[in-house]
Amino acid sequence: MERILRVNMADRTARFEPVPSSYKNRAGRWLTSSIVHDEVPATCHPLGPNNKVVFSPGIVTGTPAPTSSRISVGGKSPLTGGIKEANAGTGWGRRLARLGIRALVVEGQPQDGRFWLLKVDAKGAAFESADALTGKKLSDVVPAIAARFGGKDHVDICSIGIAGEKRMGAAGICFTDREGRPTRYAGRGGLGAVLGSKGLKAIVVDDSGAADVPIADKALFDAGRKKLAAALGEHAITKPKGALNTYGTAVLVNILNEAGGLPTRNFREGRFEGATKIAGEAIFAGNKERLGRELYNHPCSPGCIIACSNTWHRPDGSEHTSCIEYESDWAFGADCGISNLDQIAELNLLCNEYGLDTIEIGGTLAVAAEGGLWTFGDGKRAIELVHEIGKATPLGRILGNGAVVTGRAFGVARVPHVKGQSMPAYEPRAVKGIGMTYAVSTMGADHTSGYTIAPEILGVSGKLDPLDSKKTELARNFQYATGFIDTTGHCLFIAFAILDIASGFEGVVEECAGVLGTKWTMDDVARVGKEVLDLELDFNRKAGFTAVDDRLPEFMSHEPLPPHNTVWDVADSEIDKVFAK
Amino acid sequence: MLHVHLYGKLRRFAADADPRSESIVDVPHCPGDTVGSVVARLGVPVEELGTNLFVDGRYADLASPVEDEARLGVFPDDMQLLYKWYFRPKRPSPEGPSPKGLSPLGLSPKGTDG
Repeated sequence: MERILRVNMADRTARFEPVPSSYKNRAGRWLTSSIVHDEVPATCHPLGPNNKVVFSPGIVTGTPAPTSSRISVGGKSPLTGGIKEANAGTGWGRRLARLGIRALVVEGQPQDGRFWLLKVDAKGAAFESADALTGKKLSDVVPAIAARFGGKDHVDICSIGIAGEKRMGAAGICFTDREGRPTRYAGRGGLGAVLGSKGLKAIVVDDSGAADVPIADKALFDAGRKKLAAALGEHAITKPKGALNTYGTAVLVNILNEAGGLPTRNFREGRFEGATKIAGEAIFAGNKERLGRELYNHPCSPGCIIACSNTWHRPDGSEHTSCIEYESDWAFGADCGISNLDQIAELNLLCNEYGLDTIEIGGTLAVAAEGGLWTFGDGKRAIELVHEIGKATPLGRILGNGAVVTGRAFGVARVPHVKGQSMPAYEPRAVKGIGMTYAVSTMGADHTSGYTIAPEILGVSGKLDPLDSKKTELARNFQYATGFIDTTGHCLFIAFAILDIASGFEGVVEECAGVLGTKWTMDDVARVGKEVLDLELDFNRKAGFTAVDDRLPEFMSHEPLPPHNTVWDVADSEIDKVFAK
Repeated sequence: MLHVHLYGKLRRFAADADPRSESIVDVPHCPGDTVGSVVARLGVPVEELGTNLFVDGRYADLASPVEDEARLGVFPDDMQLLYKWYFRPKRPSPEGPSPKGLSPLGLSPKGTDG
């Protein structure tokens, strides 16, 4: 019997309630956005008593569906002031799903400044004091917590770092990986700060004794699961020893660089002279040298058959950090002008330790360099600055609150952001479709909310140039498709395969229909996606967002980006058509 | 002269095949050159190529024409991440990969049969 676990931090009560019929079939991002929309006053202060943090595993999370161990986390973002869904790959959500918990809602706010740990298991939910766990690097506390509760084979842990404890806007929410390391992040938008404002330091989930996730139509589910697994196993990007398994997402560094779309030194240029030194190939080669053998990537979470996560090793062969994603590699690399993988790895590790979003912090450092705080390329200084954040010094607090706050503090006009969230690793002036996604996404500048990147695949005739501006319909349709995938609990990377292999996408729909006992078809993908987006758009409207917020930074409209020397020239009217009624 | 940047397993066709370097081969331009003719001249097997082919940083394909002094970017089949979904090349080649029968949402127009 599925339930919602409601946790009130003002009086430290936890109660289970049935899932309302209005939320039937909802899970993942659909459910987090539903609850945030319905229960969080859109004009509330994100760090005040009326905001909530909602965790929800996806429809197929916890079942044998491949690559489906994702968790959606929702709330009002302290960074953007709008609705947020952040998403991580981890066994944590899977355990929650097996306990029959469709959503975990954290609400209320204590006044005493103390921190708590919540333990959730088959017996229920109970609090214990977590003050002794605060102020520490996450690798110092998370494994110890796991050991106390039976070890990584029995529990997964969700936690915030110092950044969340100090309520910083770049604070992410950390989850354990398959080795029990604190490395998997629902990173963007500052939801870690919201948990910090509620005094919730960690949530431990133990699904021992739980039954399997119920599946209404096993035959249908199995048929779907097999189609998806076949697609993933066949496609050049997702298959074993394919692009992602070999090089990880960091393979994109050389690709975007070649295409002149790799934002360099705070989005001044589209090519970085150090790109080949930090790309996925360089990571593979560096590991091979240091380990004396080839190292292919590993899955971040149970059941993933794509396995795209890397671990970077030090010269002595010991582990340095897991994992260096494209976004992190770019943020600390090209955007900061740093071409040293060891320094990038250290910056990545420190963000994991302090509980920070690597994309926001890389973008913040770049803005700070432009503001004269340090020099692009000086990796040692960049590392010192991230330690400042960990110490929560006044400078650290500025940096820890993201690119926009830092830009204000240092008088920088060129801050690449939309709705207060800093831009990820694709340059809009070179890849206009991503610019559309950044502009209209309900999440702020977000590369995952509509993994559009403007494909002509969506039925528009194939005469569009990469630097062409008409991406309206594509942006919308992909936002819907992504909204659907985020609801299923699958990792977004299945999109690489299922957008090419139609039976794979059909398989996903069949899996969901099988689990839920519904009669969903491909038509329901857009329907569900639209419902998700409509909820988010409505929340943002009520929070005060208007068309003026769906714009890229001014400087991109008049500053040509080398090597293509293009500007952002998509008409506002085109942008406004994407979600126009 | 054309400047061909090679990646992944294709780096072996350049003098500097180190994955951390830029593996560049300079090739004299011939009239009527396309990406395909240049790649063939280098001896790169076409079956090792993916869809990530660039001319002067613009997404291209084997049939795309190449002018003198152009920069070519050639990625192998195990590096064809993302870009084919960004846009189609200016002149799609007949044998180039294309999404199979996807409807305006980008999803299959045919439901499942069972």
